[in-house]
Amino acid sequence: MPLLAIHNLVTAFHTPAGRVPAVDGVSLAIDRGRTLGLVGESGCGKSVTAMSILRLVAAPGTIESGTILLDQPGGAVDLVSLPEPALRKVRGGRIGMIFQEPMTSLNPVFTIGDQIAEAVRLHRDVTREAARARALEMLKLVRLADPGQRLDEYPHQLSGGMRQRVMIAMALACEPDLVIADEPTTALDVTIQAQILELLSDLRRRLGTAILLITHDLGVVAETCDDVAVMYAGRIVEQAPATELFAHPLHPYTIGLLAARPAAGGRQPGPLATIPGMVPPPQHFPEGCRFHPRCGYARLPECAAGPPALRELRPGHFVRCDFAADLGPPHAVATGLGAA
Amino acid sequence: MSAEPLVVVDRLQTHFPVRRGLLRRTVGHVQAVDGVSFTIDRRRTLGLVGESGCGKTTAGRSILRLIEPTGGAVRFDGKDVRATRGADLRALRRRMQIVFQDPYGSLNPRLTVRAILEEGLVIHRLGTAGEREARVLRALERTGMTAAALERYPHEFSGGQRQRIAIARALVLEPDFLVLDEPISALDVSIQAQVVNLLVELRERLGLTYLFISHDLSVVEYMSDDVAVMYLGRIVERAAASDLYRAPLHPYTLALFSAVPSVDPARRRRRIVLSGDVPSPSRPPSGCRFHPRCPLAESVCREVDPPEVSLGGHRVHCHVAAREVERAGGDAAKASACLSGMMAAAASDTLPSNET
Repeated sequence: MPLLAIHNLVTAFHTPAGRVPAVDGVSLAIDRGRTLGLVGESGCGKSVTAMSILRLVAAPGTIESGTILLDQPGGAVDLVSLPEPALRKVRGGRIGMIFQEPMTSLNPVFTIGDQIAEAVRLHRDVTREAARARALEMLKLVRLADPGQRLDEYPHQLSGGMRQRVMIAMALACEPDLVIADEPTTALDVTIQAQILELLSDLRRRLGTAILLITHDLGVVAETCDDVAVMYAGRIVEQAPATELFAHPLHPYTIGLLAARPAAGGRQPGPLATIPGMVPPPQHFPEGCRFHPRCGYARLPECAAGPPALRELRPGHFVRCDFAADLGPPHAVATGLGAA
Repeated sequence: MSAEPLVVVDRLQTHFPVRRGLLRRTVGHVQAVDGVSFTIDRRRTLGLVGESGCGKTTAGRSILRLIEPTGGAVRFDGKDVRATRGADLRALRRRMQIVFQDPYGSLNPRLTVRAILEEGLVIHRLGTAGEREARVLRALERTGMTAAALERYPHEFSGGQRQRIAIARALVLEPDFLVLDEPISALDVSIQAQVVNLLVELRERLGLTYLFISHDLSVVEYMSDDVAVMYLGRIVERAAASDLYRAPLHPYTLALFSAVPSVDPARRRRRIVLSGDVPSPSRPPSGCRFHPRCPLAESVCREVDPPEVSLGGHRVHCHVAAREVERAGGDAAKASACLSGMMAAAASDTLPSNET
């Protein structure tokens, strides 16, 4: 079985305005040592999916249904129903986490060394000295310059790229089977992003850690992931091995996302391809296929009727679009942009 | 009409004092912009790229005097911007507008869209109430919005729509020149293309001149006629967009371009991973400011600030690149390929290892 198998996850927020299903029936599987990229725009539910895995979704959000099976030596456990004490062993132990903003996810009043050592001592019965030695070893592993000196420094003394290395060191300190990295390079400059992505792939090769990489950047996914799942409005709309997905995108949303970026090398004539309209907020997800109001290939009334199923159109390539096999030519979309 | 470019920036310098202690004594200066020169012709777009802290935003704001420069000269349509005062400055500023990065922070949440758009007209005492109404509506409609938006507040709009409102606010004064400071960075990918298309369409239709500041290299290439690359307060390379992207010459530009992840395997360059972080602009390195991170740095780079070398309008500040260009007989593409190979070789030798 895969290392982590999410089945039909539904995570909803109960707000005064009503129930908001941010994640609405997501199924994913990650094998050992593989990197799965979860891509989508803001509000698509990719971060809520990640937080649901570790049951870190804050109130008023709750996991309403579904299972999240983590394969363990003593047999698989369901993280959705696992009692809190056992779950605490999983968080930071079997599953490490790297967040987007390393400044706010590190504690400003403790040194780097104390924070990594704390993570180690929570999960392992080791002495203070051994934990500190492990922290130093981890800082060396993530290639932080002057690790011995950095151990006694505070987060504000480090640059953004260095802080993200510390976050990675902390996430890996207990040798997890899976690391969830939520936009780990979004806050970083592109040359620093290159350093961090290189580091993550190198560590994965050497330690065999599986990675769930959450990002909005298709380029980052293409260069680092084995498999990709594209999310839109709380659902997975397309899933395939990375090379397959970028060579043969099948869902109109994925096609649109890829076309919206200007091609490098020679200035292309004419305007960029656009996806009209805007990402719908979860409280106003459309009926039927949630992408149909913005879709240039939509056929009415079919696309507005029932939600399409995720179907395997090519080997290992799943698409949630009833017409993906034969989209036909695109047509203009009236979205009423600006009429708002 | 004069033949002079619309915007001429000459050795622009903006330093911020660093004050410490009880008496707030000045103990040093952050050299945010340090000797930046460029020109922008009418109806053209200059792209200004670089990483955070390189001074690109400060440069853009200094040109408009939203931040007072501490040295150098800025000429706009033949007028000395730094020497202009009072009503003359206000008249100049009507013609130079800015669009900020964050459409959430740059619109006053307590004002309706109508009030936001009208404010500039009121300040500049332009038109009667009826004329102002017409101009507000015209600016709004140019950005693809409708009159229905006028009585609403910014929070009722999505990020992309807010950025359209911010662009309409800049357009309402009918400027000649727009500073676009990361106008699409805060937007979702599917919305970015909409705003880019709008900016291009407005430029063609209204004959605007742009300074387009961004860290997104593909969008800069798409939008710009010329591109300048900044590092630590200085421009390290400047050329026509097609020349710069085809044959980057500065080692920093080469590393920057190679670091951009791409979905197209054919487009992926051999990645040159730079070591270390950008140094602090309050204590910039001696000589070439890029030398501590540069895999090609030589002893001369540590001591001598590299002069500008121009290859048919392709300007670069780098000792090594200058030599390679000469060796390649002035063939920029050949020199670029050579430099790229040297960097990849040097970078793989010096990659820090954790086994040490």
